[in-house]
Amino acid sequence: MGLAPTPLAPAGEFPARAGLTAARAARGPEKPKWGTTILFLAPAGVLLLVFLIYPAIYTVLLSFNRGRNGIFNEWVGLDNYARLFADPDFLNFSTFPPSGALWNNVLWLVLYVSIVIFFGLILAVVAARVRYEAVLKAIVFIPMAISATALAVIWKFVYSPDNIGLLNAILGGVGIAPVAWLGDQGIVNFALIAVGIWGSVGFATVILSAAVKSIPAEVIESARVEGANERQIFFRMILPMVSLPVSVLAVTLVVNVIKLFDLIFVMTGGGPGTASQVIAFTMYQQAFGAGQWGYGAAVAVVMLVLLTPVMIFNVRRFRAGSVT
Amino acid sequence: MVRSTRPIAIVALVALLVMTACSGTATPGASSGTLAPGTTITVMSLWGGSEQEAFQKVLDAFKTKTGVTANFESQRTNYSTILQTRISGGNPPDVAIIPGIGFLRQFARQNSLKKISDLGIDLNAIKGNYPPGILEIGQVDGTQYGIMVKFNSKSTMWYRPDRFKTAGVSPATDFTGFVKLLGDIKAKGIPPMGLGASDSWTLTDWFENIYAKQAGPEKYDQLFSGKLAWTDASVATAVDTMKQAIKEDFVAGGITAALGRSFTDGIGQAFAANGTAAMYYEGGFVGDIATKQTNTALKVGESIDWFDFPAVGSGKAVTIGGDVIAAFTTKPGVKEFLNYMTTADSGAVWAGTGAIISPIKSVPASAYPNDLAKREAAQVANASAVRFDGSDLLPSGGGDQLGAALQTAIQNKTVDWAAFETQMQTKWKAEK
Repeated sequence: MGLAPTPLAPAGEFPARAGLTAARAARGPEKPKWGTTILFLAPAGVLLLVFLIYPAIYTVLLSFNRGRNGIFNEWVGLDNYARLFADPDFLNFSTFPPSGALWNNVLWLVLYVSIVIFFGLILAVVAARVRYEAVLKAIVFIPMAISATALAVIWKFVYSPDNIGLLNAILGGVGIAPVAWLGDQGIVNFALIAVGIWGSVGFATVILSAAVKSIPAEVIESARVEGANERQIFFRMILPMVSLPVSVLAVTLVVNVIKLFDLIFVMTGGGPGTASQVIAFTMYQQAFGAGQWGYGAAVAVVMLVLLTPVMIFNVRRFRAGSVT
Repeated sequence: MVRSTRPIAIVALVALLVMTACSGTATPGASSGTLAPGTTITVMSLWGGSEQEAFQKVLDAFKTKTGVTANFESQRTNYSTILQTRISGGNPPDVAIIPGIGFLRQFARQNSLKKISDLGIDLNAIKGNYPPGILEIGQVDGTQYGIMVKFNSKSTMWYRPDRFKTAGVSPATDFTGFVKLLGDIKAKGIPPMGLGASDSWTLTDWFENIYAKQAGPEKYDQLFSGKLAWTDASVATAVDTMKQAIKEDFVAGGITAALGRSFTDGIGQAFAANGTAAMYYEGGFVGDIATKQTNTALKVGESIDWFDFPAVGSGKAVTIGGDVIAAFTTKPGVKEFLNYMTTADSGAVWAGTGAIISPIKSVPASAYPNDLAKREAAQVANASAVRFDGSDLLPSGGGDQLGAALQTAIQNKTVDWAAFETQMQTKWKAEK
């Protein structure tokens, strides 16, 4: 997880300023300056074409191919997709709870996104009410300043077994047997999600803190005067008023989850076995490790399909100009 | 508009230069006749440290003999990924040492590897250099792509002679005796054995040893080639046998802690200065790691030694792990290098470093610098049957999956071997 927020602005588009457009309209129809337009659009356009559109089309086509060595050598139709959804490592409903890379992403999506927002919101509201707000926010925000790889290494130490690791040392101190946090297939995903949450709460707190602060004091004051208690103020006033920043935050976190890779790669390598694999990891492993480029491309296309609605949602928000 | 074409022209020019530069180095040459002076090839492997130094001695000897410089490229992490990426990018090393036969199959089936016969090497001429079964390890679908250059026994049970003396016990020869031995050591208040099961391949090595001995080499071959289902009763029997030894009472620190412990830390449980365990099972390479990295104060025969992995029933098959050498190009020098690696000359130089056991028959026992290595070579040479590490034979990712299943098993949870079989069959199919 790149823990840093992902700017999702569509390049080359700027929200038109209403005033300017009006002034233009008043001057009457103007001859479109195609040369200038193309000149201005070209740099972004070329970059997009080379680094985004071409690879995307290539990947989609590759997913219908065996794709040995990343070249089109054997058309296989939907074979890769059929295999993908029959692959118990990708999605497996035959066990309970279900397992597989896609299911792990679902776990992440539900737990990571909701808990990060939950803690972020609580800390934002609490921080606004205490004197040492700056210190509190700084502490919560520090993990954001650490690269995801370093974060993963730190937590690998914390989770280390045999009472070497901090967590097991604490458990040992109170007489509980050590737990193989990253070595147990039933625990590993939750242990990883906890790390992800630790790394992202600071980001959520800062965004939501700004949102909470932007609520006019008078509104809250008057609610108090009208006799609302703190609980009512939180649920009926603050929560609805920060719903927009929350949704923006949620989108960012969802994107984080779908592209999640580095944390898994460093901490568990998808293991034990395949227990902690996520789709981005599967893509990497199949394409680069196993040399199954077509199969890896199919995973990438699934990722693309999952991300598209999120992107559309985000772009709409952006166009509406209502982002924080 | 006129101005904007200039950067494009520059980009095009640069691209052209890069392309010509690349194609210049990739020109394949026919390997015939005498070699031009200054011929250079690249050899890639994942070795570093003492392993790399040992291999460098072989490369130096090769240069002295043929005048060809073989540049060693070390790639410590993500080896197969980097190799695969370089192949796909059209820039493979000339020669690579490939760990695991699964990878050899992967590269061979995607036509990235050169056949040994295409290099101009006469297989019949080198056949006599190897004991039966060794050359076959480098074959894919009946075609020779790689040649095994080094191996280690994986049937070595490492122990502390000093602690055995304290406990008043001696090495066991069969599994029943071994389980009793573990109990006896435990009764003396000494933790019987270390285990580093977060590196799950140590568990697959346990399993393979037991399976090869218990179910026999023929079933072993079928199981690890996808022809025998994992639901076969022999699999569960072998796992149960394994669990007689790998259980809470006998593993120093308990099973849960072992699941988070690495292989090297497992060695440390028995052989580090503060280690307390009496035994540690892993391949022949433990000797080198324990005496050079874990604890330099160890003395062979006093504080470190090994005995044969106990026989199961009457089965005494020995398992080995090793690396094969394979060529990605036919550049001048490649054929000569591969040929050299099949000779007793190279085997003796390499064996002399103490880093490896050579599969080449005519490497004399005197080539090995110490008793541990000498006995390891003899164990394999005299074995009734030798089988290659099974998890390295499985398709990509299969070994990890087997390791995870065994991790589940030693926690006394049930392994769904039917589901496991489905996963393996998916992988075998994907490889074709």
